[in-house]
Amino acid sequence: MLRKRLITVLTFNNGTLFRTKLFQPDYRYTHNFVDAWSIDEIVILDVTRPGQGERRNFLDVVTRFAHDCFVPLAVGGGIRSLDDVRELMAAGADKVVVNTGAVERPDLITEIARQYGSQCVVLSIDARRNDDGYEVVSHFASRPTGHDPAEWAVRGEALGAGEVLVTSVERDGALQGYDLALARHVAEAVTIPVLILGGAGSWKHFADGFAAGASAACTQNIYHFTESAIASAKKYLAKQGVPVRI
Amino acid sequence: MIGIVDYGLGNLTSVAGAVEKVGHEPVVTADPETLSWAEKLILPGVGAFGDGMANLRDRGLVEPLTNLVHGAGKPLLGICLGFQLIARSSREFGDHEGLGWIDAHVVRLTPDDPGLRVPHVGWNELHQARTCVLFDGVPDDALFYYVHSFHMEVDDDGLVVGRCPYGGPVVAAVQAGTVYAVQFHPEKSQQHGLTLLRNFLDKG
Repeated sequence: MLRKRLITVLTFNNGTLFRTKLFQPDYRYTHNFVDAWSIDEIVILDVTRPGQGERRNFLDVVTRFAHDCFVPLAVGGGIRSLDDVRELMAAGADKVVVNTGAVERPDLITEIARQYGSQCVVLSIDARRNDDGYEVVSHFASRPTGHDPAEWAVRGEALGAGEVLVTSVERDGALQGYDLALARHVAEAVTIPVLILGGAGSWKHFADGFAAGASAACTQNIYHFTESAIASAKKYLAKQGVPVRI
Repeated sequence: MIGIVDYGLGNLTSVAGAVEKVGHEPVVTADPETLSWAEKLILPGVGAFGDGMANLRDRGLVEPLTNLVHGAGKPLLGICLGFQLIARSSREFGDHEGLGWIDAHVVRLTPDDPGLRVPHVGWNELHQARTCVLFDGVPDDALFYYVHSFHMEVDDDGLVVGRCPYGGPVVAAVQAGTVYAVQFHPEKSQQHGLTLLRNFLDKG
């Protein structure tokens, strides 16, 4: 049986690891490491604001990570063209994560899928609650797009995305649990796997996310993710009847 | 020296890294001459079947690879798309002819459980259907990382050495003489993946 995945998302600002809260940098937990032997997959994102750093510094991080990474490595942040993708693949990425670039130019998804296959494209969707439900926001959650996240996910799937990563902007760093209604909203709309991010603060939150239809639960609050923490999370999930890789 | 066939698709860096990790020297190349000097070959690759074959043809690799592997018996490990390319044909985005080293056809995954998503992405079992040197030291039903939307139907059941359950049994590993091929990614499957890769390189 296919296992539910636990994915660690690491964000880098000009080559330095940090976590975010409400999409703003929070440098408290930079010293932790990823236990590559029990995590199922790793996502690394360049969240350097335009003009605030050198892309080279991030590419160096990807190269260093990829060298000893024997789980899938998805990389994103600032991807606007196939050239950007080529650079990341050469540095050792297995998949790429597109967000604002795809909002600006949806064909980017198709271009990557044609060249590298659908499994290589993760469409990342940042969503914020509004009066009608949810709205996709781009440019580090600063720009409303007018799209509904489920509709955008369906379109992304049709354009060639292989997975969707849905992030709740309000829950980012909140540790109060995933936005389960958002997870369900998107998971019910697409047939490709849905990864959720934003709000996990306890092992139970993972189980809730899987029950809402997620194929993978992501967290970027690496404070919890020391070696024993991932094993402990998986033990908890297995006890709850969630199929995980121990 | 282990020749990793570079035909412009997929993450060759991680395959080369894993080969190095298990103590061998990888050379990533599209040069038939270099490949002919390699002790063993790996045909990796992710992406679409049609592009894969077109790239192999454009680089003039179809005939040399067929002679080296299918003809002369140089051991080869196909991974993911490299696994599917050894089939006769694929229906991925049109009908495409494959390398045709085994009687098999690649068709879209259609899990019998509508709750199962396609692509099949993530960690799933490798059920060992037959004894195979690749599996030395790998427990039955160990977990490997899969990512694919198409799968292989093999005419001769005797070539299938491993299967994975995804809405019905999915062919996960085949062996035809010195041709080995796996649907999953050993280079991304942590300790079991590295063991399997080491088995191919040391004993395959």
